[in-house]
Parts: sequence; C-alpha cells; structure tokens
Amino acid sequence: MAEYTPDGYGQAARAVVESANPRLILVAHTSQGYDLAPALAGAMDLPLVTNCLALRFEGERLVATRRLLNEKVQVEVEIASSRPIVATVRPGSVKPAGPAAGGTVTVMPVRIDPSKARTRFLSIERPQVQDIDIAGADIVVSAGRGIQKKENLPLIEEFAKALGGVVGASRPLTDMDWLPKTRQVGQSGKTVRPKLYVACGISGAMQHVAGMKDASLIIAINTDPSAPIFEVAHVGIVADVLKLLPATLKELKS
Amino acid sequence: MPLNIVVCLKQIPNPDLQFQIAPDGKDIKRDALNYKLNGADEYALEEGVRLKEKSGGRVVALTAGPKRTEQMLREALAKGADEVIRIAFDEAAAYDVGKVSRLLAAAIRTMPHDLVLTGVQSDDLVNSATGGLVAGLLGLPHASVVTRVEVKGNGLEVACELEGGLQRLYSIALPAVLTIQFGANTPRYAPLPAIMKAARQPIRELSPAALGFASWEAVPLPYTFAVRGLSPPAAKGHAEMITGSVDEQAKKLAQFLRDKGFGRR
Repeated sequence: MAEYTPDGYGQAARAVVESANPRLILVAHTSQGYDLAPALAGAMDLPLVTNCLALRFEGERLVATRRLLNEKVQVEVEIASSRPIVATVRPGSVKPAGPAAGGTVTVMPVRIDPSKARTRFLSIERPQVQDIDIAGADIVVSAGRGIQKKENLPLIEEFAKALGGVVGASRPLTDMDWLPKTRQVGQSGKTVRPKLYVACGISGAMQHVAGMKDASLIIAINTDPSAPIFEVAHVGIVADVLKLLPATLKELKS
Repeated sequence: MPLNIVVCLKQIPNPDLQFQIAPDGKDIKRDALNYKLNGADEYALEEGVRLKEKSGGRVVALTAGPKRTEQMLREALAKGADEVIRIAFDEAAAYDVGKVSRLLAAAIRTMPHDLVLTGVQSDDLVNSATGGLVAGLLGLPHASVVTRVEVKGNGLEVACELEGGLQRLYSIALPAVLTIQFGANTPRYAPLPAIMKAARQPIRELSPAALGFASWEAVPLPYTFAVRGLSPPAAKGHAEMITGSVDEQAKKLAQFLRDKGFGRR
C-alpha cells in the first residue's frame, strides 16, 4: 500500500465502509480522489455526488452545490438514501478549520488480498524537459484559446518581455503543442504565485484557476464578460487580446 | 490480441456559449443550443480507434441520450467506430450521473467488452464520475486520467496524470475501464467519404426492455435524486473592470502597469 493503486485502495476503502457504515464518505476531488470515489460508489452500489463546492444535510437529505458549464451555472442537487453517500469536494472550496481538540483516531485493520489486485503500480514518471521554470518567475503572462492561433504567440512573448516576465499557458495550448507542457499553469501543470499574472484569452476553468489564484495581482483579458476568470482577477478587461496587447505595447513604449 | 472496445460518449452543449436558466429553474434553456461531442470523449474515441488499428478488434461507440445524439454517433462512425449504439434515454438534462452510469453499465453487460473507454470528465456537468462508476458497477479494474495506453501481454500498461505534471504508471488486467485525459492523442478529422458512409449506417437503439428495465423511471437506484434548482453562480468576487474603446483600455492598462511598477519606461 506504499503507492496508490485503484484496486488496492479500493479494496481497503470498501472494507472500512462495510464495517463502519458511515452516513457520508468525503473524498477530495483530485485526480486520485475522483479515481477512488466513483468506483467505490459503483462497486458498493452507493449514491454519489462529485466536485461539490458545498454540502449540507437537511434532515435526511444531502444537499450539494456544484458548478456546471465552465462555471457559468450553479446547481443544487439533493440525494436521500439509507446507504452511505459518497461525495467528492473540490479543493479550495472550503477554508480549513483550525485544529479541534478531543478527536480520536480509530485504526481499522483491513485485509487486502494481493492475488485479487488487478492493477499493479509500476513507477512514477517526472517531466524531463529542460525549460524555464515559470513557478519561479515574478511576472507570468499566460495565453489561452483566445489567442486563436499559434502564430499569435509572439505577441504574448513580446508583451511578457515588455513586462520582464515569462510566458505561461492554459491547458488547451500545451495539449495542442503550441507551448511545452512545462509552461502549463493549473491543476495538472504548475502552480504559480507571481507578483503579476496576466491571463490573456483564458476563460478561467477551475483547473486553471487552481494554479494561479494566489498571484498577488491578476489581470484578465477576455472577450466574454461572463468568463469565470473575472471572478478571480483583480483587474479585468473585456477585449480581444489580439487588439488590446498591440495597443498596450505601443503605450508602454511611448 | 484483438480487443472488443466500447467507448462511452456524451453529447454536450458547447460550454463556450452563454446559458440561460429555464423558467422552472431546473435546467438551462435548451431550445437554441449548439451541441457537440464532449472534449475528453473525443480523445477516448481516438484512443479506442488507434488501439483497434494496432491490435485488431472492434470499436463500439455507446451513448445514453435523446435522438439528437445520433449526429454525434455518426461522427464517431466517420472517425473509425465500427458500430454505434444509442440507449434511448430521452431525458435532455440527465443530471444524475449515477443513473446514466447504471444504464451504460447495463448496456455494456450485453456486449463483448475487453476494454471500456470514456473521457475523464464531461464539460457540462464536470462530475468525472462515469468511468469509475461503470468500472465499479461492472466489477472491473480501472484507471483514471490516462494519457498513454500500451498493450503488454494479456493486459495494458497505462500512464495516469497526477497533479503537478507527474505520471503514475500501472499495469492493468483486462477487461478494464479507462478514463482518457485531454491531449492523450491527436484526434483525427473524419474523411469526407467516411462521413458520407456514416450517414447511411444504422444506429442501434436500446429500449428499457432491452436492458431489463420496465421503464427508464423503473431503473433501480439505491437513492433518490432531485435537482433543486439552477442559479447564476454567486460571484466570489469580481475584477475591477477597465472600460472604454480598445485604445482607451490600452492607455489605462499601460498607466496601471506603470503605476504598479511593471513595464519598462
């Protein structure tokens, strides 16, 4: 059990749920959490609600608040069941409380049958690319799908250079190989905390926001006034980056 | 080793659009939406077709959804699926991922399956739950956020993405369920002759009876589920906006950057 495997941890989680029969099973909505929780719910025939921002019980009912459609719509759903409910909670959605006194840890020995393990851990692979480390930069100018084509990257580079910063990107751009994976800001990429973060044509999906929300100053430029990036940004501009950046560069140089 | 591959697909409203909430507050307005194949599912389909091309076998694309999903299924045929199946579950919104996963699992039980693939998440409901639920319901091993799949002996070797750009490698026995990550491959464009051919191919439909249910309402669930209501998200905060024409915005932005000590003079 030194390394996570869906099968090994799944067996252990099932054994604990069976003997403890809890009302609610909370799991973090991380790549490991949403690997474990849905399979547990499926295997034990339990109700499941995932990626929750908030949870509360109203009598027998569990009420979950979730976000849909690129954060543009919020929904409340309710689940009632006599069985334990599995829920995953989005990281960062709840402020951790301080330590409370008086808790106890119950250790439950569980038996794992290694002959029943159908997934086997092989290794952890680390990215090997030689590139600048955007996590160490004071100023990061990131490009998203709003730059429309790869040919517009030099504009972002020029803007970053004018500010003395480096170029980052949202996931779609590194997926398309416009920039190396090392430049990706977000949950599956780098977490950055620069003095200045400029989001150029980035809508602000939760995976991206997770990697940049702690920057000291965030400026967002996007054509869509309802883009969720404007919720985390300190300064917002509804504009086409391809028009705004050249005009701003001209101003900065004058 | 020829593989019977089932790829679960979902048709979603294009999430780049603006959405309005329906008068009853239980769904978005759906009358004028533009639908597309879910992003991560595109990569799942491509991965399935590539595995078939390498190892032999068959790719069946499966969805649960209303008639409009036929357009997506024809796209799947044109991109290399051998057969497409629609579970005729007509609920337009289908907010309960548990129910949809039980329908998919019931359908998969009726067909040969060495490997079940789906996308890591749907961009409309963002549950990241379908693959895991289906695996659990079928009692199959699974791996999530998969970026690489290789057939090794009687099983697979897969790379799963973790936070921070790390990958965890597993070997996994077949049959298995994998959720495929964005960017795992480069999805192909459908060639025109294949699109023409796909337009004439049949789409198999599965009724509740075909899956052993009296009706879609009678699918046994260990819980009750209800949508309480949709609302515009309560903004956590909002940026101070720089307004005006592009030139005015540029002027103000440049001034702001200078005032904060950024940018060369």
